[in-house]
Formats: sequence, structure tokens, C-alpha cells
Amino acid sequence: MTAVLEATTSTTVEAPRRAWRSFLRHRMGVIGAAMLGIALLVAAFAPLIAPYDPYASVRVNIGDIYQAPSAAHVLGTDDGGKDVLSSLLYGARVSLVVGFSAAAIALVIGGLVGIVAGYRGGWVGSLLMRITDFFLVIPDLALQIVLVAIIGPSLGTIIFVIGALGWTTTARLVRSQTLSVRERKFVMRARAIGAGDAHILRRHILPAVLPLMLANMVLVISLAILSESTLAFLGLGDPTVISWGQMLNFAFDRGAVSAGAWWALLPPGFAIVWVVLATTLLGTALEDALNPRLKRHHLEAPGSDVARDRTVPALVPPLAEAEAPILRVRDLSIEFDVGGRSLRAVDRVSFDLRRGETLGLVGESGCGKTTTVLGILRLLPPGGRVVGGSVLFDGEDLLSLDGRALRSFRWTRLSLVFQGAMNALNPVRTIGDQIQEAIRLHAPGTSKADAARRAGELLERVGIGRRRANEYPHTYSGGMRQRAMIALALACDPDVIVADEPTTALDVMIQAQILELLGGIAHDFGMGIILVTHDLGVVAQVCDRVVVMYGGVVAEENDAATLFASPQHPYTQQLLQSFPDLAHPDRPLRGIPGSPPRLDAMPSGCRFAPRCPHVFDRCVNEPPLYPAAGGRASCFLLDPAERRP
Amino acid sequence: MSGRGGYLLRKVGWALLTVLVVITFNFVLFRVLPGDPAKSGLRDPRLNPAAVEALRERFGTDKPVFVDLEADNPFDSQFTAYLGALSRADLGTSYAFRDQPVSDLIGQALVNTLWLVLPSQLLAIILGSVLGLFAAWRRGRALDVGALTFSLFMWSLPTFFLGIILLVAGAQWFGLPTAGRVTIGANYADVWEAALDIGSHLILPTLTLTLVLLGEYMLIMRSSVLDVFGEDYILTARAKGLSTYRIIRHHALRNAMLPMVTLIALNLGFTVSGAIQVEAVYSWPGLGALTVSAVADRDYPVLQGAFLLIALSVVVANLVAELIYGWLDPRVSEG
Repeated sequence: MTAVLEATTSTTVEAPRRAWRSFLRHRMGVIGAAMLGIALLVAAFAPLIAPYDPYASVRVNIGDIYQAPSAAHVLGTDDGGKDVLSSLLYGARVSLVVGFSAAAIALVIGGLVGIVAGYRGGWVGSLLMRITDFFLVIPDLALQIVLVAIIGPSLGTIIFVIGALGWTTTARLVRSQTLSVRERKFVMRARAIGAGDAHILRRHILPAVLPLMLANMVLVISLAILSESTLAFLGLGDPTVISWGQMLNFAFDRGAVSAGAWWALLPPGFAIVWVVLATTLLGTALEDALNPRLKRHHLEAPGSDVARDRTVPALVPPLAEAEAPILRVRDLSIEFDVGGRSLRAVDRVSFDLRRGETLGLVGESGCGKTTTVLGILRLLPPGGRVVGGSVLFDGEDLLSLDGRALRSFRWTRLSLVFQGAMNALNPVRTIGDQIQEAIRLHAPGTSKADAARRAGELLERVGIGRRRANEYPHTYSGGMRQRAMIALALACDPDVIVADEPTTALDVMIQAQILELLGGIAHDFGMGIILVTHDLGVVAQVCDRVVVMYGGVVAEENDAATLFASPQHPYTQQLLQSFPDLAHPDRPLRGIPGSPPRLDAMPSGCRFAPRCPHVFDRCVNEPPLYPAAGGRASCFLLDPAERRP
Repeated sequence: MSGRGGYLLRKVGWALLTVLVVITFNFVLFRVLPGDPAKSGLRDPRLNPAAVEALRERFGTDKPVFVDLEADNPFDSQFTAYLGALSRADLGTSYAFRDQPVSDLIGQALVNTLWLVLPSQLLAIILGSVLGLFAAWRRGRALDVGALTFSLFMWSLPTFFLGIILLVAGAQWFGLPTAGRVTIGANYADVWEAALDIGSHLILPTLTLTLVLLGEYMLIMRSSVLDVFGEDYILTARAKGLSTYRIIRHHALRNAMLPMVTLIALNLGFTVSGAIQVEAVYSWPGLGALTVSAVADRDYPVLQGAFLLIALSVVVANLVAELIYGWLDPRVSEG
């Protein structure tokens, strides 16, 4: 499920967020760069803009000390009767020189350690990382104080000490980046054709690592500036130069607080904040731009996941049937907001699921299968919403349930088996505990013992055995986790189970066992099952009916036997040809060239037209929609009005 | 090794190794650099000849630094003398505070530092976790933006400068004491009065340190919670019909606390740095203030002892965090 969700979310849900956030970050980066630019200009032209020379020695008169701001001294005077503004402007030089030089040293050391540790690996790599770990444990400031105190507080010493202790984060970052580049295909290939280490490092590793290193350097600069000002405040600054930390040290130690001389304290303090803020903003923006971290968020309060205000012409006329199906989906349409546009991911999908029936929902990745299912379950990710249609479950419209009713509906009537059960089970709670939670949530009177007994029975039923109820998911094998997930889905005896790619990532033997288990359960408990899969072999094994989806619409629907015997839609035909057929083992396998359409580039006519071998004019101009086009597939070839040779 | 026992052993072993390295590092650092307590002590005019002779004896300055394979007893060296002294908790005698054993000085200072650091750490972790959780839950909303802005500003604000600002504000508007641990020369009528006095001295330093740590922990918790909210088991929990409150309480919180514990451990250096600065501003008689005054006094034995104690405390605190992690996460036997 993850893969499918990713496929849809990366292009749809997260995109507007990403655009907005990268804009925000970009703006923050621009502000940071501008603030840093101003600081650099001030540092460069300090002698020109400063009203006094703070390095000139003057005789101090008592009356000159801590003078309040005036026309002569815009920011007043300090403990030595000197102009605060002038010292402030000159102080920018020390901060920036120390910041940039120390960061450069840290970058060289950290870069070398990181690249060697990541590229060489082996004992050299682990030794280097152990050393890095050691320096991460030693508190920076304490060691800086000791070193500067022992060596002597000159500007050079301070730069060296800050740089020589500030490389650990860079080393870790560079190492992980080097590791990931080293394992990539093009590097493996280069190595396979005999490229030397120097070549690979220069051509492949460095270009990938350098941008991140530079972004990181900006952050290291902010740390170095903070360190320098802290050392200076603690009395370990170079006594021959004027720095902001030292100004604060002198003012604080020499009575500025009791003299109420805020002008001697606030300006240097906020000058430090200014440059640290500038470099932090810039560095964070650069890192994010180079290495965007997108995050799904399953708990984000959805604005509203159902907004059926559109007037979309229904494709299915309302019909009365003697026996209502347990689940009836009609003209379900789902849209995602992408960059201010609403993109239709699922378009007027209709199907029925009868009690005890197993329905296969088939198609390639990105065809809207999982989105359809999540829409039915009201579990769409933020940014996605149902814009039309209805989902009738046992006669009740799921799309109009409110929060409380929805919660008590979930799992008691309809439950889920996710793909890749590792992540679908909570790693820090036992399997039994997770099953009991569902039981006791929906039957609040159940005692702990009863719930535990029932959980044990369920685990027996899926072939795990009750003894393992108290174990954590990581002690289970992949197949067992999938079984545990099925046991969890059975916890509240639902009418329908939706299984989303339940056998993906399992080996063939285990796949067969899981399918057999699902089939057996459907039979024993009389449950309806919706099986979402891209694997036609799986469908042939267990499904009674099949819905084939393509590009967010239903391409074809039929009972399984008929569909496999005489597929109508060219897409179904080709899909069948791309799977091995046990009845005709000598039939050549053929893949379908091309890939499903992207949401933001949906063909205006038939969605399969670009890949269809039988395409003709009408297909490109007008969409054939099932079942309006007639027949059991959405294809003009089946339109009796269409006279084709 | 596997299982929890193996994890425990590995972590304790690594911590012991780190302790050894820290001790050796501490020895070498002060032996090779100009601040050698042995050499500087021999020249320090504040010491009388008898004390100098005692120093020469104690440090074994005529012996080899590490080993001398030529000698009768190859391990009779300055390093083994240092280890021997350490094992007797003998860290030498302070230059500045005559005749005061360094171990007494730094022991008292450590107690004072813990009085400051523990409440701040606890407050910051609790508040930071709660705020970080809410910020992540309401990602992109007003609370989140406010939390991020606060963290960014706290990060850019040097701790000592925040201390100065709060000191001025606290003294000006609330009349709070701004220096030391107790009112000098105070005569307390009873225990409550003493507690009140110490408590009022604690308010500003604790507030400063808490604010500094809070921004950091909030950011860590926020990104940790965001990671967990993206996990599939949260979707499972929603599909099961759990309310948002129950999902957060029973499924998200514990998983989010795991990286928090690790990152808090990794951030201990940050805590130490903050404590040193806060102590300097408020003249709080802890390890940080002792370190700074030892620098000013060129009191190298105290500097060496204080640094050793700071480094060792961080190693121990780190180990505690690792053990908590092992207790919280059933998967540790894997790694």
C-alpha cells in the first residue's frame, strides 16, 4: 500500500504543501541571505561607517563612562567611555571572520572523515565513526574552554579550537551521503568498468556530497559564531580585538546592569542574534532545498474528506434490485488538490459486492485502486476528498456518517488488511495486545481475559498459535505478520474485509498460503472480500468477480471466469497477455509498453488510447465511460454503433 | 550477542570504554599542553616548597609518561600514578583555594549544578514533548508556526544573553535575587525560610536553562511525532475506529518518545554548555562557574578535575538514556 500511496501522494497530495513550504523556505532563505549580506557589508566597511575608531587609545574620564545615547554617541558609551556603535560595527568583523574560518576548518575535517568513512568502510570507517561518536559525547563548550585556556586566547587559537571540535555533524552527514551514492547504480557501473577510486570520488562522490556540505557549512558558521561569542563572554576572547561577546563580558562584569546601561548590553546581544539567525535561516533553507523531507501525516485533521457538491452526470441509473448487495459503490469520484488545481484521481467508479463474494480490484500501480478503497473507507490522505457518488453499505451511506458513527462502523462492519504488514502493526505493542484493543474498543463490556482468549482463537485460526500472542511484530516472519494482520481484521467479525495487496513482498509459497487462508475465511465466515492487487494470478486463484481499473476509471467488469476467458477491453487483453497462463504455457508473454497516465496529464479521450493497439479517432476525442458506452467494458470497440472493419 | 542482556552488556561496555578514553584524554590533554598541573605547579609562586615537593612526588615528574620498557618496572609511569590517584578519588589540591582538595570542590559544585540542571531538564522535556506533539498534530497551523518561530529564536539567542535579559527583567520587575545560591549572611529562622531563599535564587537560572532547552526539545519532539504520524500503523489504528486521542496516546506517543530519548542523550553536551553559561551569569556555584573561575585563576588541577567530571557525567547520563531506550523498545535485541 505504501508504494501505491506514495505514487499518488508524491504527485498529488504533498505537492501543494511542498510548493507552499518550499516557497516559505525560499522566502526564509532570502531573508537570511539578505541579513547575512548586511552583516558582511557592515564588517567590510566598518572603518568607513563607524563614527569613532574603537581601537584608538583615549584617556578615559569618569564622566564618559556609560553615557546614555545622544547625538554624539547614537548608542551611548561603554564601560571605557568608548562609542558603543563603533565597537558594534567593528565587532561584526571578528564574528564573521571566526565564523567563516572555523566553519571552513570543520568542513575540511568533517568532509574528509565522512568521505573516507563512507567510501572506504571496513575497519577504517568504523574506527573513524567511533572517534566521531566520542567527540559527540564530549561537551563542546567545556573542551573549548579548557583548550583555549591552556593554549592561550588568541584569535587564531579560538578559530582552530572551534573548527577542530565542530566537525562531527558534518562528518556524519557526509558519511551517510557518501554511503548512499556509493551504492547507486551508476557508481557500481563505473566501478565495474574499471574506474579508479580517484575518478569515482571526483566525478561521482564529490558532486553529490559538496552541495550538502556547503549547506551544512552555513549552519556550522552559525554554531561557530555562537561559540566565539560565548567564549568571549566567559572571558576567553582575544583581548586585542573587539568582539560582541567581549563587549557583553565587559559591560556585564563592569556594572552595566546596576548602571541601567541597557545600550551597552542590548546592541551586542542582538547583533549576535542577527548573524546567527541569518545563517540559520539560510542554512536551513539550503538544506531543505537540497534534501527535501516530505512527510505523510495520517492524523492531520482533514478539512472535509467528503464534498459532494459537484454536478457530475451519473453513469449508472438508479436501479432496484431484489437482494441488495452488502456494498454498493456508485459513481464514486475522488479528487486531490495539487498546486491549486483539483485533479480527479478516481472518476465515477461503480461496482457491487455481494455477501460472501470475493471481488478483485485489478490494475497497474497508480490506476486509482488504493485511492478508491481509501475513499470508501473514509481514510483518504489530507488534500484528497470524495467529490461525488455514493457508498452504500448494507443500505447506509458511508459518505454521510459523522465522526462517532464512522468510528463505530469501522472494523465492526468493514476491516482492512494492509500491504506489507510490518509497518501496519505497531512495533512496540504485542500482536495479542493489538488484537485485544480492537475487540475491547468495539465491545466495551468484554473482560481482559475474554478478549485475550478471543485473540488467541483468532491467532489459532490463521495458523499462528495462541502462544505467540505475547510477542512483538519484529519476531514474526513476513508471512506470519500478514497472518497476524488477517487475525486482527477478523477481530470484530466484520461483514467485509478489504485486503490491499496482501501478498506483495511475500515469496510464492507464502503467497499461496495467505490466499488460501483468505479464501477459507471468506467461506467459513461468509464474509465479502475486496482484494486489491496488480497480480492477475492472485485474482484467478480466489476471485468470483473482477473489476479492472485504468487511469482512475473502471475499464472492465465481469465475473472472473468470463473475464479470463474472453476479455473485452484491450487493456484487460494486454494485462492477461503479460501474465503466464498455466493452460497455455507456451504462449509468449508480452508486457504493455508505456505506463499509466499521470493525474496531471490525463488524456481527454479514452485514458488507454496512448497505449492502445486498436486506437482510432473517436478514442482520442471522447471518453468511453463504463457502463454508459454499453457492454461490460469502457471501450468504443464494443459500441454497436461503431462500425469498425 | 542478542537479547536484552546483550544490549545492556554492549551499552555498558561501550560506556566503560568511553570512560577509559575520557580519562586517558584528560591525562594527555593536560600533560602535553602548556597547562600541565605538574609543571605549572612546580613553578607556581602560590605554593610553598613542601607542597612543590609533594606535587613532584604525586605526579612522578621524573618518571616516564606512559611506559618505559627499559626500566625495571615498565608500568611505573606518570600515567599509572595518575590512575592510582584517580582510584583514590585524589584529584590534587587547588592552587587558588589553598589546601582544598579538588575532589571536595568539584563534588560540592556538581551537587549545585544538579540542583539547577535536573529541574530545568525535567521541565523542558515535559513542556517540549507536549508542545512538540501539539505542533506536529496541528502541522502548519498557528500553534505550529509559533512553536517553530520560538525555537528558531531561542536557537539564535546566546544562552548567556538570554540570562542577562532575564536577570535584568527579574531583578527590576519581580525583585528576584540574581546571584549565588543563598543570600549571603542570611540567618534562617527555620528550614522553610532556607528553602524559600534557595528556591527564589533558583527561579531565574532555572527559567533561563529551561527556555533554552525547551526550544530544542520541542523541535526534536515535533519531527519525531511527524515521523510516527506518517507510519502505516497509525492508518491501521484509524481504520480500527480509534479516536484521535486514543491513537496518539496508545500508538503514537511511545514510538515518538524513542528517538526523543536518543536525541536528548545526544544533546547532553548542549545542556552542559547551557548550564556553564547560566552559572556564569547568575554566579551559581556549580561546575560551570568553577571551570570559568579556574580558567581565570589558572587553577589547572581544578580545571582538569572539573572537565573530567563534566565529561564523565555526560557519559553516564548517556548510558542511562540508552538503558531507558532499551526498556522502551522491544526491538533492541535486533540491533
